Amino acid sequence: MKHLKKTLTLFLALFLVVATFAACSSPAQQATPSESSAPAEANSPEAPSASADTPAKKLKIGATYYSLQNEFTMRMDNAAKKYCQENGIELISYDGNYDAATQLSQIETMIADGCDAIILNPHDAVACAAGVEIAHQAGIPVVGVNTMVESDLLTSYVGSQDVSAGEDIMQFMIDHLGKDEFNIVIIEGPMGQSAQLQRIEGIENILAKYPKIKELARNTANWSRSEAMSLMETWINSFGSDIHAVIAENDEMALGARQAIEDAGLDIPCIGIDGITDAVTAIQEGRMIASDFQNAEGQMVGAIEAAVKAVNGEQVEQFNWIPFEMITPENAVEYVNKY
Amino acid sequence: MSLVEMSGIRKSFYGVEVLHGVNFQLKAGTVHALMGENGAGKSTLMKALAGVHRFDGGVIKIQGKPADIYSPSDARSLGVAMIQQELSPVEELSVAENIFLGREPVKMGFVDYKQLYRQTEKLLDSLNLNMNPRTKMKALPMAEQQMVEIAKAISQNAHIVIMDEPTSSITNREVESLFRMIADMKARGTGIIYISHKMDEIFRVADEITVLRDGGNVGTWKKGEIDTEQLICSMVGRELKSQFPKVEVTIGEPILEVRNLTLAHQYEDISFTLHRGEILGFVGLIGSGRTELMNSLFGITQPEKGKILLEGEEVTFKSPRDAVTHGIAYVTEDRKGKGLVLPMSICHNTTLPSLRKFTKSGLLQRRAEGNAVTRQVSSLNIKTASTLLPVKSLSGGNQQKVVLAKWMMTEPKIIIFDEPTRGIDVGSKAEIYKIMCDYAAQGNAVILVSSEMPEAMGMSDRILVLSNHRFSGELRRSEFSEEAIVQMQFKHMISRRNDDDRSDVK
Amino acid sequence: MSQLDPGVQIKRRTMSRRQFVSTFGSLIGLILLIIIMYALKPNFLSTSNIRNILRISSINGLLAVGMTFVVLTGGIDLSVGAVMGCAGMYSAYFAQTSMNKHWMVAVLVGVGMGLIIGTFNGVCVSYFRVPPFVGTLGSMSIAKGLTFLLTDAKPIPSLSTEFKFLGGGNIGGWLPTAIVIMLVVLAICFTLLYKTRYGRYIFAVGGNLNAAHVSGINTKRIICSVYIISSVLAALAGIITSARVTSGVTSTGDGYETNAIAMVVIGGTSLAGGRGRLWGTIIGILLLQCLTNGLDMLGVNTYYQMIIKGFVVIGAVMLDGLNAED
Repeated sequence: MKHLKKTLTLFLALFLVVATFAACSSPAQQATPSESSAPAEANSPEAPSASADTPAKKLKIGATYYSLQNEFTMRMDNAAKKYCQENGIELISYDGNYDAATQLSQIETMIADGCDAIILNPHDAVACAAGVEIAHQAGIPVVGVNTMVESDLLTSYVGSQDVSAGEDIMQFMIDHLGKDEFNIVIIEGPMGQSAQLQRIEGIENILAKYPKIKELARNTANWSRSEAMSLMETWINSFGSDIHAVIAENDEMALGARQAIEDAGLDIPCIGIDGITDAVTAIQEGRMIASDFQNAEGQMVGAIEAAVKAVNGEQVEQFNWIPFEMITPENAVEYVNKY
Repeated sequence: MSLVEMSGIRKSFYGVEVLHGVNFQLKAGTVHALMGENGAGKSTLMKALAGVHRFDGGVIKIQGKPADIYSPSDARSLGVAMIQQELSPVEELSVAENIFLGREPVKMGFVDYKQLYRQTEKLLDSLNLNMNPRTKMKALPMAEQQMVEIAKAISQNAHIVIMDEPTSSITNREVESLFRMIADMKARGTGIIYISHKMDEIFRVADEITVLRDGGNVGTWKKGEIDTEQLICSMVGRELKSQFPKVEVTIGEPILEVRNLTLAHQYEDISFTLHRGEILGFVGLIGSGRTELMNSLFGITQPEKGKILLEGEEVTFKSPRDAVTHGIAYVTEDRKGKGLVLPMSICHNTTLPSLRKFTKSGLLQRRAEGNAVTRQVSSLNIKTASTLLPVKSLSGGNQQKVVLAKWMMTEPKIIIFDEPTRGIDVGSKAEIYKIMCDYAAQGNAVILVSSEMPEAMGMSDRILVLSNHRFSGELRRSEFSEEAIVQMQFKHMISRRNDDDRSDVK
Repeated sequence: MSQLDPGVQIKRRTMSRRQFVSTFGSLIGLILLIIIMYALKPNFLSTSNIRNILRISSINGLLAVGMTFVVLTGGIDLSVGAVMGCAGMYSAYFAQTSMNKHWMVAVLVGVGMGLIIGTFNGVCVSYFRVPPFVGTLGSMSIAKGLTFLLTDAKPIPSLSTEFKFLGGGNIGGWLPTAIVIMLVVLAICFTLLYKTRYGRYIFAVGGNLNAAHVSGINTKRIICSVYIISSVLAALAGIITSARVTSGVTSTGDGYETNAIAMVVIGGTSLAGGRGRLWGTIIGILLLQCLTNGLDMLGVNTYYQMIIKGFVVIGAVMLDGLNAED
């Protein structure tokens, strides 16, 4: 009897694991968000070698994102899935989990899996260059997206210039306040990530022109709303209303800072980058002055188009710049229903 | 009709059958002693009854009805309670909370403490136990913790109570109150299974005696049908000529000299000399500083003052490692805590301090190691199916022999034995005494720390008595007498009350 | 055994079903996983993919192998991820083409970082009795700080070709250097753990610290040493990673410690110490890496992946627990 109980427990445990497995791997098999097969269900991805013989070969693209655990990359991924579904492309998305080494092995996996082209949204501009090299050796085109990869071998790059975003928000804040002598605090992304490095470069470019603007403090909040909130709370404690403006390298952090400001009963203008849904609402409500919108969909679609061109042997532009767009209270309504 | 009827009980561990169809019966209102050497299967049999171990074959009937016992809670609901040898109360909770743990009276979802304490008080009164239900368990001495455990069993309406070595860690006076309690329980019709190695207790308390040997029945006797001699004989399966195989040996030159050794609050101003061939007994009450002194002789603690001379040269032991390299071995009092690495195999435990011998250019010579262990295991008569089994699979007596084997492998000059036979069956005891004597006779020296007077007097060439951390007397073999020793034990404790002094009972 | 009491009947030492499952559960799981993956995705067992899995297993496995030593003594090393990043960064610094140093210098600097942090961990835990969880948590933060300090969080590009060979190169054109390094490390570790006194002492210290001490083992030194081993192996992983991604990146190794612990635990090593096996850890490493690679190939959503991995870790420990009761 007791044995039976033990065995049952064991089976239950195994069953759970297997069930979870089945629950999520089967939808992936039949056409779902991750693997968007074209209308023809019969052409199952289970037989990849067979596809080589069929005349209408389905294009297979692998995409690795630095992470799939935040809104921005999810937006890119959703745009990519939608585009691929419409155009009969097989897409497999990988989550890089904030780690260049992981992305590198994912690229190797894609090569082993027989992808025709790779879309790389790198966690690190320098480190992921090794992945580009590996793919190049395998003769597979790589299109960088959103974050620059420091490699000559990159087939094409589609993105927005983070330096200009940094410049945009700093300049906008100065124009918004209408003076060139005030105190700011800067909230940064994860130290060493290229978006952080470039956005701060842009901010510093503008600050260099306005020597009277005083930087009270600068620290990282790792793109995180909650971290930015506690950071801001600390700053409010030490500087109080001496802070005249908050420059955040993304919206999440700007919103976190704003929350802390409101909790302290203050009203300090905040600005961020990305144009996420929450930020658009905040701008409409006047809680943020603006956000520099990064066109995730535009970038991703551009990247896939470039990849398809490259596979077909067509000429591809080395750089494709998708411009940032400043969301202000005036035009915010246009962005509300963007997603 | 029998209260409990176990027939043909079988049980295997690690593929080794330890119970080969054992039968056992308990009648209501009696005390039935279960005897046997360690490893004979007493504890395993009782754990099967208490639902701790699932038995592999056989039938258990309780009050004539076949009982399915799969877990301790099954056993409990059938009225079986087991008082373990090593108690494990929830120390931070009160007596009352411990007794009613998991069955607290509840009022509107909260524990009804008023009711809890009232019920406990009633229970304790009915058992003539004089203690406060609000006292925390950790504040009680071992014996009273045991009483609480028994009270708990009674409060659960247990009519079958198993007591595993209930007197192993309590004082004589406490034993008396335990026996009174047992008498009370008998009068209520409760059946008691009593496991103990202490002959005098068995003959006082038991109505029936069942002896097991090597996982099988030897026999069952009524009180008065068997005497000590026969009982030991039936347990061991052979006649023990003398319990103490002590032989007279010529005492050689001094090997260890201790001069004015002092460590505050542990031992003060201790001097003695140990000679080759000698077994030197150390006697004292618990807390008299015996173990503490031994710890320093082995480098576990360092003395503040005084010196130790080994074969004429002064030595300081910064760690046990130093002591081991100087040829000292220490069979500690606490076998599981300090003696053995329980999850490791018998083989690996045995060679732990002497691994250096089996290393050649940095690598272990496993074949040589295995052979040496096999030899040692058979020469000490350790009962096991394989030396590769974890040491925790052995019975207490065999575990102690592994500790001995481990130190023998280091070929020490001096072995310190601290309570070497505590909780060990008669057969193993005799074997350990024999090993001790042979070892000393080879020109080595032994220090024997013991609380058991017959053992200390039977084995030692000389006895040193400690009292309240100080040296209080020395007796030669010809001068040995229990009165003299007891007197010396209390020499420095005149202001205190004797044997019941709580601070001296761990 | 020769001397057995005739009364004791000895059956051949057979394994109960439970023991079998608990001993080989993870291995069976691994084999099943490989079969399932292969059925769903034949490319899973292509030569290049096997090589990928083994290479990434080698790098992440170094942490798990080191962690096994620590866990066997009953400790834990939370700093391995940070040490990996730190050593990777410092070795990359010296491997820059502009520094013009021999690649060995860079490797030695990296290993040296591991040695220093490992010794610090070991001394804290053994001689100053800081609980391992706390001690290594502290040095995790210290190592992370040292990493950022070197370049102000900027990555280090353009490393020398020889150095890059350590991570991305193939010996004989087909066998990745990382795998070779791992095999060498494994050979050393197996020898240390099962063929030397030192290894035996590790099990003894983890099984019963007091008994080991009384047996004349210098327990403090043993405990100290396992942290050094763990850190040095983590440093090695960091160096290889830097070489592989051809640059020093500050975020390298972030969160890797949890993976390493999971691998050790899946392999059946008890967090209480004294009980475990190195080959189990190897299975743990392969199991997790095959799972990650396979699920990635199948395009399983990242959130489901997390859930599955969680169940796998718990399931493995449940299997192991089946035998703990005896």
